[in-house]
Amino acid sequence: MTTPANAEISAESGQDKDVILRTTGLTKRFGKLEAVKNLDLEIYRGEVFGFLGPNGAGKSTTVGMILGLVTPTSGSLELFGQNLDKHQWSVLRRVGAIIEEPAFYPYLSGRSNLEALARAIGNIPAAKIPEVLERVNLADRANDRYSHYSMGMKQRLGIASTLLRDPELIILDEPTSGLDPAGTKEVRDLIPQLAQEHRAVFLCSHLLHEVELVCDRVAIIKEGVMIANAPVRELLTKGQLLRIKVDNPGEATSILEKIPWVNSIKIEDEYVIVDVPRESASDVNKTLAEQGIYASELVSSHVSLESVFLELTGGESGD
Amino acid sequence: MTRLIASELFKLRKRLMSRVLLYVLIGIIIVLYFLLLAVSKVTIPGHGAGEIGDIQNLLGLPVAIPFALYITSTFGAVLAVILVASCIGSEYNWRTIRTMLICSESRFKLLGAKLISAGIFILIGMIIAVIAGFLMSLLTTAIGGYAFDFGFMDGEYVWNQFAQFWRTFFVLIPYSLIGFLLAIMGRSAMPGIGLGIGIIFLEGIITAFMRLASGWVAKVPDYLLAANVQAINSLSDLPRGFEEMGRSDVTFQLPGTTHAFVTLAIYCLAFLAIAFYLFRRRDVTG
Repeated sequence: MTTPANAEISAESGQDKDVILRTTGLTKRFGKLEAVKNLDLEIYRGEVFGFLGPNGAGKSTTVGMILGLVTPTSGSLELFGQNLDKHQWSVLRRVGAIIEEPAFYPYLSGRSNLEALARAIGNIPAAKIPEVLERVNLADRANDRYSHYSMGMKQRLGIASTLLRDPELIILDEPTSGLDPAGTKEVRDLIPQLAQEHRAVFLCSHLLHEVELVCDRVAIIKEGVMIANAPVRELLTKGQLLRIKVDNPGEATSILEKIPWVNSIKIEDEYVIVDVPRESASDVNKTLAEQGIYASELVSSHVSLESVFLELTGGESGD
Repeated sequence: MTRLIASELFKLRKRLMSRVLLYVLIGIIIVLYFLLLAVSKVTIPGHGAGEIGDIQNLLGLPVAIPFALYITSTFGAVLAVILVASCIGSEYNWRTIRTMLICSESRFKLLGAKLISAGIFILIGMIIAVIAGFLMSLLTTAIGGYAFDFGFMDGEYVWNQFAQFWRTFFVLIPYSLIGFLLAIMGRSAMPGIGLGIGIIFLEGIITAFMRLASGWVAKVPDYLLAANVQAINSLSDLPRGFEEMGRSDVTFQLPGTTHAFVTLAIYCLAFLAIAFYLFRRRDVTG
């Protein structure tokens, strides 16, 4: 749902794109709590889609509904153009997912875990298991018990399990959680590759830098309502951050607060940090100078996804 | 469904718990045989040769299979509850339920596959228990110096044991399904195992008190599990007195065989229906 607040931040037209997932008015209520409200989403083949939101925003509930684990209260959910309710297995067979954290049988080895899943899914060639283990660099430890795996290895096994069925939609919930920097980079490099292989990747992450690096488009959800849905590029070119050093930051802040096009303003050490539209640095400088405040330093930087997220969500953490 | 059963059997086969439960059952059979052998060799003051003879009969080859099946229907019920409850409950404990649901054609088929594969494991356990009982009977017969006589092994005997095998399997089902249902209700193996075993033991005590009452209260146990299970177990070829093992009060009349089968079948259907309904309807979160 597009709210008035983000009316300008709306998704690109998806008319020519192959829609893999479409939700229309998707709503889930748990008793009196409306966890997800009228969610309209479209995810296209070949893109990495970031799904962000603070704790309890409704991300996991949405993923649960996409995977048939949670029954929507109202609205519809289409995967590959088919209604999930009516064709659950035929569409879910084409989806791979890790939800929240990888969950496997602790008494089985990594290889046996994949074997158990492959048997359940069916029609998966035996060669696929070593292939996916190799792809996530787990081949050497494939015969170790899952309970002996580090968090990073568990994550990698989770990714291997999603690749087992050669999915067209991959849902990854915090895929780099617990990974060391090298592992994080590996996964970060792997995600765009997966999308390039004619799939769509639905990425839930609280690592906004990571999302900024790998996602083509993001949606931000807060209290069950989607408050932004736009290409990352578009979100990041909306404004710029100005770092201004002045003698009296308090006075500068009170002057800048009165300007309607200033998005946000805060004081960090002796600097005033202002989020303003692009190419308005000179206007800011001029306004301050007219009030007798002269900047000894004025540095412009691009708005990060983190600052966009914090602004839209009112500063809540994105776990 | 076949794919899911193959997956469930694979997991059960690889799980240490499945083997441990089987070793426990075999261990109980071995210990009981040696205990009976020891008892049959001592003179118990106040007990006549007839009773000692009964114990010697119990060690004998003709009774080996019914005795093993009897042990399976009593101690084995506890093990079956543990197996069946943990086969679904552990999925919640390890949070693999979501992983499995995403890989399953439907919730109905996943639950069905779990029950069928657990049933197959129970049947395998029963066959191994029968073999263990027979081997122990051979051993104790040899140690005790009793005669080896296989003359009892005629067509009628084989048929009776075959029927008793399936009757024993049948009486294990309601208890297993209670464990299964409670594990689903509690979203964990522990409620299924704990309450399932609790019901096995507590029902006997509660029904014993009910039997002491008069009127309709005394009739209530006829519609519970234990009395009907005993009614079916009493069809076995155990020596005089042993089919009454476990009954706290042998003076009451057991329900009829048909009544017992119908009552247990109704319980099974009810437990199954509630388990499938809950599993299908509930959201899987957290």
